[in-house]
Amino acid sequence: MNKPLLSLIDINKYFDNFQVLKNVSLDIKDGEFLTLLGPSGCGKTTILRCIAGLETVDSGDILLNGKSVVYLPANKRNVNTVFQNYALFPHLNMYDNIAYGPRIKKSMTEDEIKVRVAEVLHLVQMSGYEDRMSSQLSGGQMQRIAIARALINEPDILLLDEPLGALDLKLRKHMQRELALLQKQTKTTFVYVTHDQEEAVNISDRIAVMNKGVIQQIGTPREVYNHPVNLFVASFIGDRNIKEVEILENNNNYHKVKLGNNTVTIRCSRTAECKSKPGDKALLAIHMDKMKIDCNEMPNSIKGKVVSVHYAGSQTRTELDVNGQSLTAIEYQNEDCEYKIGDKVYITWEESGAILLPMEDGFEESGV
Amino acid sequence: MNKTSNRFRTFYLSLFFVILYIPVLGVVLYSFNKSPSTASWTGFTLDWYRDLFNDKVIIESFKISIKVALLTSILSAILGTTTAIISTYVTSKMENVIRGVMILPLLVPEVALGVSLLLFFSTLNLPFGILTLVLSHSLFCMPYVYLMVLLRLKEIDISIIESAKDLGATRWQVIKTILLPLVTPSIITSSLLALAMSLDDVVISTYMSGPTSTTLPVHIFSMMRVGVTPKINALSTLILVGTFFIVGLSQLLNKKSNQ
Repeated sequence: MNKPLLSLIDINKYFDNFQVLKNVSLDIKDGEFLTLLGPSGCGKTTILRCIAGLETVDSGDILLNGKSVVYLPANKRNVNTVFQNYALFPHLNMYDNIAYGPRIKKSMTEDEIKVRVAEVLHLVQMSGYEDRMSSQLSGGQMQRIAIARALINEPDILLLDEPLGALDLKLRKHMQRELALLQKQTKTTFVYVTHDQEEAVNISDRIAVMNKGVIQQIGTPREVYNHPVNLFVASFIGDRNIKEVEILENNNNYHKVKLGNNTVTIRCSRTAECKSKPGDKALLAIHMDKMKIDCNEMPNSIKGKVVSVHYAGSQTRTELDVNGQSLTAIEYQNEDCEYKIGDKVYITWEESGAILLPMEDGFEESGV
Repeated sequence: MNKTSNRFRTFYLSLFFVILYIPVLGVVLYSFNKSPSTASWTGFTLDWYRDLFNDKVIIESFKISIKVALLTSILSAILGTTTAIISTYVTSKMENVIRGVMILPLLVPEVALGVSLLLFFSTLNLPFGILTLVLSHSLFCMPYVYLMVLLRLKEIDISIIESAKDLGATRWQVIKTILLPLVTPSIITSSLLALAMSLDDVVISTYMSGPTSTTLPVHIFSMMRVGVTPKINALSTLILVGTFFIVGLSQLLNKKSNQ
């Protein structure tokens, strides 16, 4: 196992009396694209600022290449940040903006700077914009310059704070692909902050899901998407039906659970999920798009009534009522069964689409 | 409806400016009057201007005024800017204290300010002259520089400063390469304002002028004791034009930097 490039060890951070980071520990590997994902106010940007040195930590340690950097000011740390609002210097043209880092640190001669500026501008596809001022650029262009200005310093880590937040949807999708490509090209470690779960899943090697100052789960997009460890992660990533169930039987990783009046069988794939005993309460989480609606009874299916059908282009969203509990199914196409509101149907789901989560206090179906 | 209110606005503003500037216009007009009395208009002349330029005392006091005004605008630009920048690096409590102290000279009546400065400088045994004039003028000009620079500093996005730090700049480098270039338009505008205010100050200058260092406005004031001569009209006209020029220039620069 390689030594991590950056380690956060038990970071705690308070703003006045409010604790924004609670015992945050995180290892970041050299060359990976790690995303901090969470709702606004969860502390993800604060982590980024602590790594950059723009925020001090109240306790804990930050190791960069094995050396503690907690007491180093931002200008002495070899990490660079791309800010959400670009933060280009308005009085300098794009060449001078990009050359700012090497000039201030006197790390290159003017000749070297000239070569490197041309290189990074080429990298972000902005060659020819050297003489522009930031007021003459669009949001996407400013974002590219901001990235070039950071990359010219060859930082150990590039920190990106919701860099695509201010762009429109189409440009954002385009920039996501470019960022992922740029990261592979430059082999630079990226730490990326976003509240957009789709963006995180699309571009990251690993995702750290955060809520209320605590890292809930770290894993590859696939792991986090398919095997959330708790209610928060399950409801934040992917659209799921989440229902309270009672465990009836635990048999060789197959659980028989009671959902309303129905008994269904759930396979659990992770040991953490498989420890429940009969009589325990648990949460059943089913991906909406792994659900299937049939007109005839199928093995392991439950009976329900169609409440509403919402057709949205490539997919159909169907609200179902199962003995007073509501379930939502998203289907891409269904040629086997045509149904309309009020019909009795049979509902099944792919085995991999359903998981059991530990019961949590204060769980209310309407609140999820 | 809209048209009538528009017309009313134009009418009101025209009336306002006419009433405001009629007396000033009179001064300009009579500076070209052949007759030395303001009772009648007897024809156009530039004699009074010629008289003016031959008056050694007036030329001398004009030179002193310019010297004092230039030094004042430089000194207040340096002090005002430094204080404004420092006040962004201290706690908000300290910043409020600094703001209070800086604005105080604007609130204290000039007469009181003059008396206290007079006492202060005589205690220090400072000879009254250009030095005391510059120091006292800077006292009431500096707050304007401070306020205008501070206003501009507050407009600067904090992430611009953070990104400079992030790229390796020390605090001093941030000030030198980011803050100062960004506030330069405000420094220039406000020091032009200081220049204009120093040029036409009478009250404080009356206290501060030494025997060989009378400023122009103080000299005009003493000339007035024997009555308003057309020469004073001519002089006032020139000062008016000069002040308009300076204020206009500062407005223009301000507008340009806001774009």
